[in-house]
Amino acid sequence: MNKEYLGEFEELVLTMVGILQEEAYGNALVNEIDKRVGRKVNLSAVHVTLYRLEDKGYVKSYMGGATNARGGRRKRIFQVTNAGLAMLRARKEQQLQLWKLIPQLKIVGA
Amino acid sequence: MKPIDPPQFPFRMLKWFCPDNLYESIEGDLLEKFDEDVELVGLSKAKRNLFWNSINFFRPGIILRNTFTLHLINTIMIGNYIKVASRNILKRKMYSFINAFGLSVGIAFCVLIFLFIEDEKSFDQFHANKNLIYRLEEKSYDSWQHLNPKDPYLRSAYLMKPLMQAVKDELPEVTYATRYNSGGYAAVKYGDKIFSEKNITFVDADFFKMFSFRMIAGNPDKIFKSKLEAAITPAIAQKYFGEESPLGKTLHIDLEGEKDFIVTAIVEAPPANSSLNFDILLPQENTAYYQNHLNQWGNFNTPTFVQLVPGANLVTFKSNLDKLLQKHMGDKLEKWRKEAVTPVPADVKLLELEFSQLPEWHLKKEIGWDKVSDPQYSMILGGIALLILIIASINYVSLALTTSASRKTEVGIRKVAGAQKKQLVWQFTIESVVLALLSMCIGIGLVFMFLNPFNEFTGKSISISFANVAPMLLVSFVLTVFIGLLAGSYPALFLSGFNPSSVLKGTFTSKVNAGFTKPLVVVQFALSAFLIMSSLIMYRQMKFVTTKDLGYNQAQILVVPAQAGFGPESNTLVERFRNRLQQEPSVMSVAGTGISFAQGYSRYGYKINGEQKAAYVYPVDAYYLTTLEARLEQGRNFDARIAADSNAIIVNEALVRDMKWKEPLNEYLNYNEDSVGRGAKVIGVVKDYHFLSLEKNIEPMFLSMNKNLGYLTTMLVKVTPGDIPTKVEKLRGVWKELQPDKPFEYSFLDEDVARQYMVYQRWMNIMQLSTGFAILISCLGLFGLSGINALNRTKEMGIRKVMGANVHTIFILLNRPFVWLALIAFVVAAPISWFVMNRWLKDFQYKITIGWELFAASMLIGALVALLTVSYHAFKTAWLNPAETLKNE
Repeated sequence: MNKEYLGEFEELVLTMVGILQEEAYGNALVNEIDKRVGRKVNLSAVHVTLYRLEDKGYVKSYMGGATNARGGRRKRIFQVTNAGLAMLRARKEQQLQLWKLIPQLKIVGA
Repeated sequence: MKPIDPPQFPFRMLKWFCPDNLYESIEGDLLEKFDEDVELVGLSKAKRNLFWNSINFFRPGIILRNTFTLHLINTIMIGNYIKVASRNILKRKMYSFINAFGLSVGIAFCVLIFLFIEDEKSFDQFHANKNLIYRLEEKSYDSWQHLNPKDPYLRSAYLMKPLMQAVKDELPEVTYATRYNSGGYAAVKYGDKIFSEKNITFVDADFFKMFSFRMIAGNPDKIFKSKLEAAITPAIAQKYFGEESPLGKTLHIDLEGEKDFIVTAIVEAPPANSSLNFDILLPQENTAYYQNHLNQWGNFNTPTFVQLVPGANLVTFKSNLDKLLQKHMGDKLEKWRKEAVTPVPADVKLLELEFSQLPEWHLKKEIGWDKVSDPQYSMILGGIALLILIIASINYVSLALTTSASRKTEVGIRKVAGAQKKQLVWQFTIESVVLALLSMCIGIGLVFMFLNPFNEFTGKSISISFANVAPMLLVSFVLTVFIGLLAGSYPALFLSGFNPSSVLKGTFTSKVNAGFTKPLVVVQFALSAFLIMSSLIMYRQMKFVTTKDLGYNQAQILVVPAQAGFGPESNTLVERFRNRLQQEPSVMSVAGTGISFAQGYSRYGYKINGEQKAAYVYPVDAYYLTTLEARLEQGRNFDARIAADSNAIIVNEALVRDMKWKEPLNEYLNYNEDSVGRGAKVIGVVKDYHFLSLEKNIEPMFLSMNKNLGYLTTMLVKVTPGDIPTKVEKLRGVWKELQPDKPFEYSFLDEDVARQYMVYQRWMNIMQLSTGFAILISCLGLFGLSGINALNRTKEMGIRKVMGANVHTIFILLNRPFVWLALIAFVVAAPISWFVMNRWLKDFQYKITIGWELFAASMLIGALVALLTVSYHAFKTAWLNPAETLKNE
């Protein structure tokens, strides 16, 4: 698979990981996505996407500390890597440039 | 808030497929989600959500992460496992061979029986209309004999000739119908080629539309419009016409006089798993006395098949059949009911028609049919196969355990080097699977080797073709891997449980706990003992029936069918032969008879003083008794020169007893129920001889020269002893002289008689084969067990030797338990085989008595075999230098 490629859902999850910072773990991401974009997503889908992003090197993960909540199970916290950040930035640039190329919008914006 | 305990099941499931490194966080998330859900949507919905959320993790993104890593480790190690396995197998060639061989015998046996059962099940399955075709069957009340008080009905597929047309015309359910008479026998001629064909089948035109025998040439819609058409198989076409095209050619077939049949179709020969059989198909109109039988609703001689419309209601069909019988046979049935020997209960139908679907024919054993077989055979054989397989796998385990001692150092080293228990289990399991796969290869080889004898034993013609080789391989592969895993797991767990430090220090003593194999060895040995005894008894009985004095001399007698049809010509022909053969010094005598031995019988029923009697009848000539060397007790033989003798009879002693005659030579037997005359004069009493097989008692029988009782269709030619082949050639020469256009055929009387016991012979063969297998396998089991025993007691024996015990005592000490096991097995098996064999012998009126010496002999055989088997390990242990075993202490 092309490493430069990022799927729509992957991009969403990656962005959310960036937003949540220290609190970016599976269940929190599900709730955050629901809150911010109103999309009900499945926990397993988020997990799978996170692992895929980790494979691609856009996020890294570490195990958080144990708490009394969630039956004492530790959280796997995800962090956006530099590569991930660069990727997000590149996507934003790309989208902006493409945006500018749409003629009608150019006229309205001018 | 106090957390509510979530259900455990989803997590257990998750744990099973989820990679360990991911599991904790996923579980945590699920728990958190569950807690949220409990508050938001309530407990029950939360539980459902939890369940679905966990199920959702069962997706490639998670699972593949899992297996990928696991695979990586395994593929590295598997190479090593296989390498170690092959080294171990090669290192202990003898042991590996015995172990693999035991298993391969089991596998081979199972595969053969699988093929057998498949073949049984495949019967008649190749017909496209198999579910629409039914065979009509009679079920008639048996008012005469009451064979079975619980089910006093006779069942048969033989029905009335006119029935076919009646059902086809009158019943709306029937689309096609055909009659079917197989096994027709006639001389067939084309040009100078004359053969006698034994497989002529008479059918109606619908036969070709109903059954899926492929028509290679000819038109199924136009066939059998004329009664002088013939359809033949390619083999017959080749035999008579060679390379010529057979269509339109004429075959001369001798059915009560030669007729010319035009070949109008070539039909593919039925396969071996077909209940219908033919070489030549002829129209029904050519059956004997067709025109007479066509109006006869009282003659049961013709099987009838119908094809029903799809979705026909079988209940109304049955009642329609009843109505049809009433319509055509109502009067007759009433009359039969009145005349019945014993009164027929009013609520019992004297005659009913039943039917069974084509695929059921082969296993419907209550209806006599070509190749019909008892489904019990399949079940018994299947049971034996399963038993042998179980025993073989248990032997495999116990044999594997015997070698465990020599592997413990290896286990220790592996553990020290960092092997986990799981890996060791895998290693031993894979070793066992490798050996099992090896056995499978040998087993399949054995299947190919034993297929022909197996076919002979079972009377089948199973061939391994592309169609059944795939399921066979699949079955054996699955079996093999299953056994390999099963048999490997116990030794694997046992071996991997060793503590490395104690093993390597050398202080490790472990006893292989194989107590569970002991009862099994008893079972195996009991089975072998049972089989040994049974085959011995069967062998004795077969020997008895084949060598028993039958009351006549069956040696050097050739049975030659006269081939002159059923008529007075036969009698003349026999006479001509006798005259011609009198010049030959090698021929002692020639006799004619209506029915030779083992070729059926004819029985005559008659009423004398109101009492129903029956006797077997043999149409013979004056030379019959002398040729057979049967002894006359009273009176004289027939004399061709005395004209009155043609109406006289010679009876056997059983008939004299039956009639309670004091002076038989003054009596007459009125078998014709002649109201005017006194019947046939008795001119002689022949000493009882076995004209039927030894399954039957000698029953009343009389011989007659009266042509009304039948013609002399068979010649018995007694030749001088020695050099039979040249004498046969001489006879062939004479035949060519007298009857150049008929085929010369012969069989030997003694072989004919022996052939009556073929079914028993076949079962005896199967028994002997199974006995061989069982002995082999139980010896392997014993071998394994004695090995374990010797292993466990190696040190004990070492100490005993040091204390001064000699080899002799140790030998006895080690062997004693096994001789005991063998004895127990025999004690268990003896009554069972006594019981079973007595039931088997019930089929025979003349039989051996089962004496103790038979049991003693088989016991001796069994004990000897057991002793030989266990002695290997006993010797090995007894001869071992005690220093070897004790130096580690």
